[in-house]
Amino acid sequence: MALISIDRKWIGQEFDVAEFKVSEKGILAFARACGETEPRFTDPSHPDFQAPPTFTSKYVSRRILPEAFPDLGARGFDAGKTVEVLGPLRPNDTLTARSKIADIYEKTGRSGPMIFIVHRMEFFNQDGQPVSIVDWRLVRQPDPE
Amino acid sequence: MIIDLHNHSTKSDDGRAKVSSYCRWIHKREIPIHGLVLTEHRQFDDESDYRELEDEHDLLILKGSEVETDYGHVLVFGVNEDLLNAFDFGAIDLKLADVVQAADRCGGIAVPCHPGRPTVGMVAHYEERGPIEGVRVIEVYNGGSRAGEDEASLALARELGYYGVGGSDAHLVSQIGLCATKFERDIRSMEELVMALKEGSFEAVSWR
Repeated sequence: MALISIDRKWIGQEFDVAEFKVSEKGILAFARACGETEPRFTDPSHPDFQAPPTFTSKYVSRRILPEAFPDLGARGFDAGKTVEVLGPLRPNDTLTARSKIADIYEKTGRSGPMIFIVHRMEFFNQDGQPVSIVDWRLVRQPDPE
Repeated sequence: MIIDLHNHSTKSDDGRAKVSSYCRWIHKREIPIHGLVLTEHRQFDDESDYRELEDEHDLLILKGSEVETDYGHVLVFGVNEDLLNAFDFGAIDLKLADVVQAADRCGGIAVPCHPGRPTVGMVAHYEERGPIEGVRVIEVYNGGSRAGEDEASLALARELGYYGVGGSDAHLVSQIGLCATKFERDIRSMEELVMALKEGSFEAVSWR
């Protein structure tokens, strides 16, 4: 299967908007899971208490791919997330996450051709300020012939 | 002069290391290389300027590319405007013969990398379809090779009389300097690197 069969019209189209509430309990649980030791991430009484930098990577949009996106088969894997931090996240913040496909590209590896789909979630706080961008790389591999 | 010929920075989709971090790591760990080449996947990074880093760390930092062909992945050194117009660096179905010829015609050189690796190395493709004319240098030591892969690359080089280079194929900071190439002469620019590669005045080294 060649990428060329996927129309690049999908890139940039927003296909989901979701809202998330940041809680103190959620921040503490995430910080604990990450092994954080910085008081500003672990101590709610700290004057600069906020979520660890990769906090938004835990959120998942309601749709992973746009409706009617081509079926690329069941084989694939999660190639990880990168997080860009644009501002602090604090308890009781309300985040709006807008999802789109940021890129689609092909490459070949030991296991053969792979199609990478970059799912981007852009997070804004209740003031409309951008606070985080999460790029999630999803890999699909053509079914063996 | 020892140069690590095959590395990726955050400019590559799967690269996780900043070039400045590579430089700091080389100094901190006293890795015995004098330079590195950034060979970003399916592109030529025409934007980044590493001259300040070169001066700060007394390292030569050059830029090439790693493209994808029907015979596997290939390093391209000496990328210039002519070569950028010769084929689509972003394609994954380039013909190795075309890349080798285009590089040679435009004053560069194409070096198939990790030849012993399944699917993306040229050994398996050679067995099926035979050698490609014009290949003179291949990567015989690759920092990401699994058991048996470098041995297959070395065997191919011996069999067909190819010169062998080494490169770390680093994607993470700690992977820089695992393999490299020792040149008989000093290299100060990409043009001199290409010339040395064409002359065959070098040997591959590995510290793995």
